[in-house]
Amino acid sequence: MLILRSNDFKIGALCGAMLIAAAGPGIARAALGELEASVQTDVVQLQGSIKASTDRETFRIHEIQLPSGTVLREFVSLDGKVFAVAWNGPYMPNLRQALGRYFDSYVAGAKLNHMDHKHLQISQPDLVVQAAGHMRAFSGRAYLPTALPSGFNLGDLQ
Amino acid sequence: MLSLTRALRAGLGLILCLAALSCGGGSGMLGPPAPPPTGNNVVSVIVDQGPLPTTNPTANTLYTSVTVCFPGSATNCQTIDHIEVDTGSYGLRLLAPVMNAALNLPVQLASNGNSLVQCTQFVIGYSWGPVVAADVLIGGETASSVPIQAIGDSRFTTVPADCSGTGTAQDTVAAFGANGILGIGPFALDCPLCETQVVPGTYYACTSTTCTGTTVVAASQVPNVVTKFAKDNNGSIIQLPSVANAGAATVTGTLTFGIDTESNNASGTQTVLTVDGNAELIMTFNGVSLSQSFIDSGSNGIYFTDANISLCTATNFTEFYCPANNLTLPLTIQGQNGVMTNNLTFQVGNALSMLNNPAAANFGAFPLLAGSNSNAQSFDFGLAFFYSRRVATAIEGSVTSAGTGPYIAF
Repeated sequence: MLILRSNDFKIGALCGAMLIAAAGPGIARAALGELEASVQTDVVQLQGSIKASTDRETFRIHEIQLPSGTVLREFVSLDGKVFAVAWNGPYMPNLRQALGRYFDSYVAGAKLNHMDHKHLQISQPDLVVQAAGHMRAFSGRAYLPTALPSGFNLGDLQ
Repeated sequence: MLSLTRALRAGLGLILCLAALSCGGGSGMLGPPAPPPTGNNVVSVIVDQGPLPTTNPTANTLYTSVTVCFPGSATNCQTIDHIEVDTGSYGLRLLAPVMNAALNLPVQLASNGNSLVQCTQFVIGYSWGPVVAADVLIGGETASSVPIQAIGDSRFTTVPADCSGTGTAQDTVAAFGANGILGIGPFALDCPLCETQVVPGTYYACTSTTCTGTTVVAASQVPNVVTKFAKDNNGSIIQLPSVANAGAATVTGTLTFGIDTESNNASGTQTVLTVDGNAELIMTFNGVSLSQSFIDSGSNGIYFTDANISLCTATNFTEFYCPANNLTLPLTIQGQNGVMTNNLTFQVGNALSMLNNPAAANFGAFPLLAGSNSNAQSFDFGLAFFYSRRVATAIEGSVTSAGTGPYIAF
């Protein structure tokens, strides 16, 4: 019953790519999967500000306060790569910016993996996105499973 | 667009398959059955497989019918069924493709004189479309010339990048799982911050070619329609019967408007839980206090984290729980007013066996459907909470004999 044909996946991905194209060029490459310096790009593009940067044993968290009240956290590994982002707050962040090159994969996956308006789980070999909440209170996280620091606890990804 | 439609259908196929795969049995929830209320402030509600049961069946989604009229007209009206009843959002939103062209509801204007178009944010994506005015009739209640949203209106196809950047488009009946949504949560507005600040991905002033983010005064935002009714406008009450553990093809109940305003909506003896500024409660599960928890008719499962319950392993089911046997688990719900529930339990069934049960191929209701929650601070008690209960939602500022809103009482 739950067989999803591969061509449907391809079509979904294509549509995602078309959406991106329609949105126009000129969006600077954003954080997920990029180097730590791209965090600053997100700060500028999203008109936010770094609220805090915290060093943990195997990673660093940059906490970006967005004007909407939502907080976007970007997780950087010791090799200087953003391996995860997480958000929590009253309005959705611009995930095209925060997910960068993974955004179209997210859009395609979201079309295939939702049950209602309030939950989302995308589990792909290269990308996991989980989101929950309701109008005026959203939370979610996206991470690169193959780029997690050794021993990383997903419970820290909030 | 054909390919887009196909892709969306594939996505809904999941919902469809879930509903089509069906379920197995069990026991009802607590509470004595109460007779359904009647009156001119009551509208019937139903849980079924949704507006597209063959191609895109839904699960645990509550629907009602809404009539919209051109403002001031008694004849240019249309009644639309399968409008999702959602206590987790605010405002009436209709899918433009299901609206008769003759309705031609007038597009509202932004403060700069351009068309006011909204990007409605849901967790899974966004719904884009203009704000239009309509007289809204639900049951015997009327709201005159109230702003509502027309999602997927072909006159406004250019979606701003910071709107589409919030996710995937939810602008067709197939993608949306309903012909519209009636947001009747405990607040009056969908974007209070928009009154004073341009919030990316919310309201826009659009010409035929470009859109610019805009602030919107409260009176022009898409409001909780209940607050605009001429009477019975301080809240609502959803009452649903118990449902067998295995599920049911349909569940019918009532949505009653007003609290303590008529003989059929008295507060009575109940647990009154005040919600916080995010419409949230504190739920304690497994000894952990979860401060971002909520009760939501628009969530189709019970979503929480418990590492001791097996998740399903089948493809596309990995978000859901698949325990070997039905589980009955204790939960405490606490309001901002300190009131706590007593001896409340909920049940978790095996999602795969419930949904795969051939006997449940036409089922829309699955009270034991539960899944994991990516927010470690949240317990989302979805529509299953409403089965076998009478749940009142009091809107912010409303004064009833049971307390002052915003609160949820049951």
